[in-house]
Amino acid sequence: MRNNKNNNDYSSIFVKPGMTPREIVKKVRDLDAVAITSTGMRDAGQSDYKNRLRIHDLATLADHYNRMGLFSAECHGGARWHVGIMNRRESPFEEIEILRERMPNVLLQTLIRETNLWGYRPYPKNVIEYVVQRVDIDVWRCFSFLNDIRNMRAVAEVVMKRGRLFEPAISFTQAEWATNDYYLRVVDEIITLCGGMDEIILCIKDMAGVGSPERIRSLVDAIKQKYPDLVIQYHRHTTDGLALPALLAAAQAGAKILDAQEDSLARFYGQAPILALHAYLEEAGIKVHLNRAEAEEAVQRVREWISHYEWAESPFRGFDHNVTKHRMPGGAFPSSFEQAEKGGFLHLMPEILRVMSLYNRIIKYFDVTPGSQITWVTCSGLVNRYEKEYGRAGVQHLIQLLTKFVEEKNQDFEAMDKEEQEELLQLFRTAPGDFKNLLLGGYGKLPVGWPAEWVYKSTFGDEWKKKLKERKELSPLDSIEEDDLEKHRQNLRDAIGREPTEEEYILYLMHPKDAVDFIQFRERYGEAPLVLPTDVWRQGLRKPGDRVEFELWGKPYSIELVSVGSEHEGLIHVVMRVNNKTRVYTIETPRLKRRVEVRMAKRPNEIGAPINGNVWRIGNPQRGTLNVGDIVHEGEEIANIEAMKMENAIIAPFDAQIVEICVKLNDTVQEGQLLFVLEKIKEKT
Amino acid sequence: MKKRIQKILIANRGVPAVRIMHTCRDRKIPTVAVYSTPDRLAHHVFMADEAVHIGEAPPLESYLNMENIIEAALSTGSDAIHPGWGFLAENAEFAQMVIDAGLVWIGPPPDIIRTMGDKIQAKRLAQRANVPTIPGISDVKKIEDIKRWLREEDVQFPIMIKAAAGGGGKGMVKVENEEMLPTAFSQARSEAKKSFGDDTLLVEKYIQRGRHIEVQVVADQYGSVVHLFERECTIQRRNQKIIEEAPSPTLNEDLRTEICFTAVRLMREIGYHSAGTVEFIFDSSTRKFYFLEVNTRLQVEHGITELITGLDIVNIMIDIAEGKPLPFKQLDIYPNRWALEARLNAEDPKTFSPSFGTITRLQVPHGPNVRVASGVNEGDDIPPYYDSLFMLLMTAGANRRDAIRVMDRALGRSLRVEGVKTLQPLLLSIIRHPKFIEGEFSTRFIEEHMEELISMFKERDSEDEVLKIARYVAEVSALGPQQWM
Repeated sequence: MRNNKNNNDYSSIFVKPGMTPREIVKKVRDLDAVAITSTGMRDAGQSDYKNRLRIHDLATLADHYNRMGLFSAECHGGARWHVGIMNRRESPFEEIEILRERMPNVLLQTLIRETNLWGYRPYPKNVIEYVVQRVDIDVWRCFSFLNDIRNMRAVAEVVMKRGRLFEPAISFTQAEWATNDYYLRVVDEIITLCGGMDEIILCIKDMAGVGSPERIRSLVDAIKQKYPDLVIQYHRHTTDGLALPALLAAAQAGAKILDAQEDSLARFYGQAPILALHAYLEEAGIKVHLNRAEAEEAVQRVREWISHYEWAESPFRGFDHNVTKHRMPGGAFPSSFEQAEKGGFLHLMPEILRVMSLYNRIIKYFDVTPGSQITWVTCSGLVNRYEKEYGRAGVQHLIQLLTKFVEEKNQDFEAMDKEEQEELLQLFRTAPGDFKNLLLGGYGKLPVGWPAEWVYKSTFGDEWKKKLKERKELSPLDSIEEDDLEKHRQNLRDAIGREPTEEEYILYLMHPKDAVDFIQFRERYGEAPLVLPTDVWRQGLRKPGDRVEFELWGKPYSIELVSVGSEHEGLIHVVMRVNNKTRVYTIETPRLKRRVEVRMAKRPNEIGAPINGNVWRIGNPQRGTLNVGDIVHEGEEIANIEAMKMENAIIAPFDAQIVEICVKLNDTVQEGQLLFVLEKIKEKT
Repeated sequence: MKKRIQKILIANRGVPAVRIMHTCRDRKIPTVAVYSTPDRLAHHVFMADEAVHIGEAPPLESYLNMENIIEAALSTGSDAIHPGWGFLAENAEFAQMVIDAGLVWIGPPPDIIRTMGDKIQAKRLAQRANVPTIPGISDVKKIEDIKRWLREEDVQFPIMIKAAAGGGGKGMVKVENEEMLPTAFSQARSEAKKSFGDDTLLVEKYIQRGRHIEVQVVADQYGSVVHLFERECTIQRRNQKIIEEAPSPTLNEDLRTEICFTAVRLMREIGYHSAGTVEFIFDSSTRKFYFLEVNTRLQVEHGITELITGLDIVNIMIDIAEGKPLPFKQLDIYPNRWALEARLNAEDPKTFSPSFGTITRLQVPHGPNVRVASGVNEGDDIPPYYDSLFMLLMTAGANRRDAIRVMDRALGRSLRVEGVKTLQPLLLSIIRHPKFIEGEFSTRFIEEHMEELISMFKERDSEDEVLKIARYVAEVSALGPQQWM
């Protein structure tokens, strides 16, 4: 073990998995200090490393967390779930299992998007209940990008019934309409939903990092005035550069838990550095509950592997105080910039951010998932459209138009020129479906009312009145029809060709396509994502003789690179030594010329081969060879396939005319390959 | 006729060729392999002392090409031919050609092959030897013959149409009802023509939930006929055996004695010599057995008889062909173990669709009480032209439970085949199925339990898993960081 004199010092542990929510809340209230939630295992990685930090590395922190005296470790949820299966090829269930084993003292925390769970669309109530019931998490931080507390009901009920801690969050932003009175109304709703404040912790979620210290002080104070017993946690990103003073202000006003991350992980968009926060608060006379020696060790662990992730850092570096205007949340920074880079419009980022800062004054909600994605896709789409049609000047024109409308005319549509009105009325015509769904109430109520009429005209054109009538005032929980869970399970079964595990099924319920890709990846590559160190995971073995050693299921293994052959016709042969046994792998490169795609029978009128084999007869002995245009009768043999000396008759399933014969005599065919296209003969009436 | 055999040509490939060569090596008899073009680098070619190319891939041009094989024997100075099983093993014309070429035919006399190969004649001979036979008609030319028989004898479906010249499940079609009859009839006729060059058919009542029991017999040229007890081959898919065992868990001592002596009586009656098998169908409900056919050759599953008796049947065949008398009497034979065989076919275990390709990984089971007969090595191809059987796994134990336990180890923990699909998962779920363990099954066991058997597939092992990880490392090492990362 590592040289650490506090190795067996668990004295800082004050809350543990297994405690009831009431016990936990009481422990926090009784604590004579501020407690810390570490976001090192989730939000830190999401905000500055595109969620690419692998559990293989994060798990090195677990041993320290286990003695650090944290309130909780946020290690789950948000986009980590989706990126996990798509990019890291780790399942969130595996992560929980690993962390439970290595840090049994720590409350595991997730971040969940009310009805959107860990996905990007509202799920029906029965899916929410099914999934939340089956995920082993202690602290459920739940937010709504609309602060539509009604949407939290299903999650709150299941979590509280399970005896786990529900942590409702209010989405925070700094805007003229986002007043203390507004937030107090949201808190009222939360207290009503949760039946009091003895079994919950309230989170103020400043996901973009825009709360100025005095604004935060005032908000926490206002809530504490009204609800002195409510335990408040302040979650804040560092984007504006003012995180530490804002966290201090929150603590001074009565917040009991603050979010922080390892100093060595800190870049620009995540949480405050934990050691700095500890020192700063203590100097200001606020006690921080933290085993600092362990926290220092954890900071050191990060340094040992963080250099493997430079490639994942955001291309947009440095603090950005203008976040207070464009409000892009920390968690969305790297992924948005990644998209801009891939889409070839990174150079338009300043303009997009500017358009966002105007857009969010026209359509008011909180820029956090899925709202931040709607903002991003809508605004980046607008800017790209203007650039494509009118060049950079067009983009400037768009900004001038919106600036005039928002800042000069105070959004008085009638005050704009006729021509400008026309342009505004076309603005959202190509907006994404999610934007339209938002306007129609698909996600819930907007926090301070629906947008102005012209926005609907602009989005829906002539149909706007009809659409306006369809707008829902109900929570999606009450308006979305239940899913057929058994049908989903059957679809997954069909996609992977076997009975899925419960975990695989839940992944599929969240992200159907990506879950299937993930399952197939893991069937092919096994536990590679879990056991390989990050440099090997990303780069492979670099030169002959390099080896990677690991333990798998309690036994030692070694994989050594012997040689990588040169590419020939799209194939590379790689020689590896696996526990001293030589194996040759044939690797297909992207340049491999695919064999001509085999046509498969898909529709009922397409007849496929039942087995792999050889087409030795087309037709039957009575009629001889069949040709296109021939009429065949139900039950009639139309071809015969031989494999390993067994014959298999292909039978016409109905009376039909042959439209196409897709194979030649003596062709070798594979199972399912298209043999005939038939056209059913309609019965004469 | 007594003659010491100096060199044997094995007119076969794969598992049977390799099996025979093993005994030849024991006896220090040099061997000659024959091969078709795609088999140029096959395992049996390298097992032999010499090898001769006999033709192109299609069996008719190579392994069924009688002239070329005789020519190969003569040109290499071989003085005997062993046909193995399949291909020319039950071809009387070929056996006669071998003898006419002055070579020793390691098998029964050609006229016996011919007679017993004709199912109609065989059945007649069985009846003459007082062996019970299944109700049926022979020499079926048209569908009306079948319909008349059904009517006159008041026989209920299902019935079985078979090639009169057939065997090994080929040219055999089960008919469930009258509507199926025309298609089934023409399929059986066509398969019969293709496999045996003769489209004469016979039709029999299909014994529902029957069990397949057969008796291994060896006989010398001097009238001594000894049985080596029975085997049970009830577990079949598409009328082809995939799991066999000896002794049969179905029979009690009385029935065992009766069935074995019935087989001996028949073989003595027809003047058989060499190794051969008398097959019966056993009707569990009535506890009666009926004659099915005589296999005038070495059988795939002979190995389990060897395991329970300690004898080498190929060795005995060579001795008999050399004109030696059987060195034992009936009372000298007493099996004292239980043995199982599982046939590893290159097939999809769910659909039985053949799977050909290159065997990229082959790890063969070892350990106590395991016998492996493999026709391939790692890296070999399974070509699409021939039988899908490429390996036999046999296990033994003091009793049935032990033999099953060893088979579980062999199939589950030790055997690894990659590159082609195999029956391995199906075989494993069968031997783990409670009904199989109880001995409660019929020839329809697989179709009746297929879904359950498939649900039992899946066995994970860290050895397999690490190879998947190694594949990942190989890919990334060759291709660098990937887009999706």
